[in-house]
Amino acid sequence: MAKKSLEVEAEVEVEDEGDAAQFKMPVDSDHKATEFWLFSFAKPHMRAFHLSWFSFFCCFVSSFAAPPLLPVIRDNLSLTTTDIGNAGIASVSGAVFARLAMGTACDLVGPRLASASLILITTPAVYCSSLIDSATGFLLVRFFTGFSLATFVSTQFWMSSMFSPPKVGLANGVAGGWGNMGGGATQLIMPLVYELIKKIGSTNFIAWRIAFFIPGVMQTCSAIAVLMFGQDMPDGNYNKLHKAGEKHKDNFSEVFKHAVTNYRGWILALTYGYCFGVELTIDNIIAQYFYDRFGVNISKAGTIAASFGLENIVSRPGGGLFSDYLSKFFGMRGRLWGLWVVQTLGGIFCVILGRTNSLAGSIVVLLLFSLFCQAACGLTFGVVPFVSRRSLGLISGMGGGGGNVGAVLTQLIFFHNSKYSTEDGIFYMGIMILVCTLPIALIHFPQWGGMLCGPKPGYTPEDYYQSEWSHHEQQKGYHTASLRFAENSVREGGRSARGSGHSKHTVPVETSPTDV
Amino acid sequence: MAGLRLSKITIALLLLLIACHVGPSMAVLFNQLPKTLIVTATTKSGDVLHAGEDKFTVTWALNTSLPSGADANYKTVKVLLCYAPISQHDRKWRKSNNDLKKDKTCQFTVVKQDYSATGKHEYTVARDIPTASYFVRAYALDASDTKVAFGQTTDANKTVNIFEVVGITGRTTGIFVSAIVFSAFSGLALAFFYVVENKKKK
Repeated sequence: MAKKSLEVEAEVEVEDEGDAAQFKMPVDSDHKATEFWLFSFAKPHMRAFHLSWFSFFCCFVSSFAAPPLLPVIRDNLSLTTTDIGNAGIASVSGAVFARLAMGTACDLVGPRLASASLILITTPAVYCSSLIDSATGFLLVRFFTGFSLATFVSTQFWMSSMFSPPKVGLANGVAGGWGNMGGGATQLIMPLVYELIKKIGSTNFIAWRIAFFIPGVMQTCSAIAVLMFGQDMPDGNYNKLHKAGEKHKDNFSEVFKHAVTNYRGWILALTYGYCFGVELTIDNIIAQYFYDRFGVNISKAGTIAASFGLENIVSRPGGGLFSDYLSKFFGMRGRLWGLWVVQTLGGIFCVILGRTNSLAGSIVVLLLFSLFCQAACGLTFGVVPFVSRRSLGLISGMGGGGGNVGAVLTQLIFFHNSKYSTEDGIFYMGIMILVCTLPIALIHFPQWGGMLCGPKPGYTPEDYYQSEWSHHEQQKGYHTASLRFAENSVREGGRSARGSGHSKHTVPVETSPTDV
Repeated sequence: MAGLRLSKITIALLLLLIACHVGPSMAVLFNQLPKTLIVTATTKSGDVLHAGEDKFTVTWALNTSLPSGADANYKTVKVLLCYAPISQHDRKWRKSNNDLKKDKTCQFTVVKQDYSATGKHEYTVARDIPTASYFVRAYALDASDTKVAFGQTTDANKTVNIFEVVGITGRTTGIFVSAIVFSAFSGLALAFFYVVENKKKK
């Protein structure tokens, strides 16, 4: 037995020495890429990036394929405003728990299998959208299709496995933003496909049904691509790594405890509900809003609605970059202030949108609203990675799930029935954004401070991340990954912290151990 | 001096422009339209018509008890299929509005033709008419296409002579089969890859 384990160890060591040279991209000691080459498909890092953002994009296209075609669907199915509102809520509520479960699934079977399985399981719901003939059917297909939005978590998880800390924020931001963009692209794609099918000779009530096959096929193909070309970690897939004994499995109940008892995770879940949740709500209501209020046709309404979601191509990554930039000068306090200011500006433009009466004015305000709303999403996930190291997956899942809860709430309160006109609903949603963004001021990291108060003197990042492990676990050395992370997060103390050497181990971020 | 003349011309042009816009965009209000046309349809209260198959005939005539010359400015007649109140309930996109520019009650044109004191038209219910309850209304339009009078098959409260249309479902056999086949393919693809993964494990 001892001889066998020695052989396995030797095998792994030899692999390590050869492997670093095998990667096309420069990597750190974990074989995570230290650079981000957007236009490359280099295996396995950039390939994983493109597979994950595109499959997430396809899930967004499917989940929001119905809204731009609602003017036709609502007549075919004889839907009422309440029916439409209920289905909109259903479309985002499935993912609330699915996002939490996805984090665990990634831990167990790896992001490749977890995301591809979820995508292939939900694809029949997209195809069967073409068969519905009642309000109940409409609600059910939107509910099950919406589960696929949990692929957000697998995207972020996969990027965190493939990219080194200095680049993980950018990778996460671009992958998240380009995926979310699907909610905008679909508002262009679906009306276009619908009009094309009508031109070929179909009646409207048949044409929209055929149109739904496009997002369905996109989804199926992207999942198959993930299975065929994707890889969980730089060194291989989970089943191979588990066999070689390289992965240590943490205790689920401890991870769970440290996630739910961290109040910062809950506050970020709430505030993410008022940037990402609002984004999902707008994806659901905005095409109908422009169609009904300003009398533009389906294609034009879709184009305007698309501009909102498509801004994600730059606004969310921009938010992530801005967060990193603020951290360079002001540390974590800068990240928190940046998040509050940007999200509040988003709320202000939402309020203005609800009170703008002209078409041209509404379009301009919508574009500004979109910029700040989506940048706030990027800024949120500039803070989330630092809330916990041990329970990173679950905290990300909580934040992501909170986003969907926000979408459920705003649709339930303002867009569900005929109580408020849509423009009033938008106005009040803006006010709710302003109010629900204030709790960011309550977030305080003892080692770095918060918006209003400075750090606790003498408290270091090591103290914070070590406190997640019991003495017993620390003796066994389980917390070493957290310590490494604490060292690398010295920069979050801002310029002054770096100078006065608050951390016990002042290891600059640029130098990662390269001895292989 | 030349500058002053130029600015006077500009102001005159601007006023002309504004005048051109003000004229036709004055709101036409429904409650001010005279009900001078008598409109009847061969559909009876509670009838159910199938889109794309069933027909009905609509007849319109000027109310003979009106003084002669009442229809002097009627140039065209436009007959529309309009939603009954029960089909407008909780559906903001079908709402009635006194300002006819914003009114969404009547969304489907049955026929539009030159005005004559009496007229009739046989209409096959179009394939894109949704399932709902309807009545028929006819507008008389003047030379500038502005509504100047109307008539309808129902009363002021829109409760009598309401008939139903059952729209096409849109679910063709081709769509049905394709949905099943594509869904099955997704499931099989997943199963296939799981089998391959398990084989790799062993």
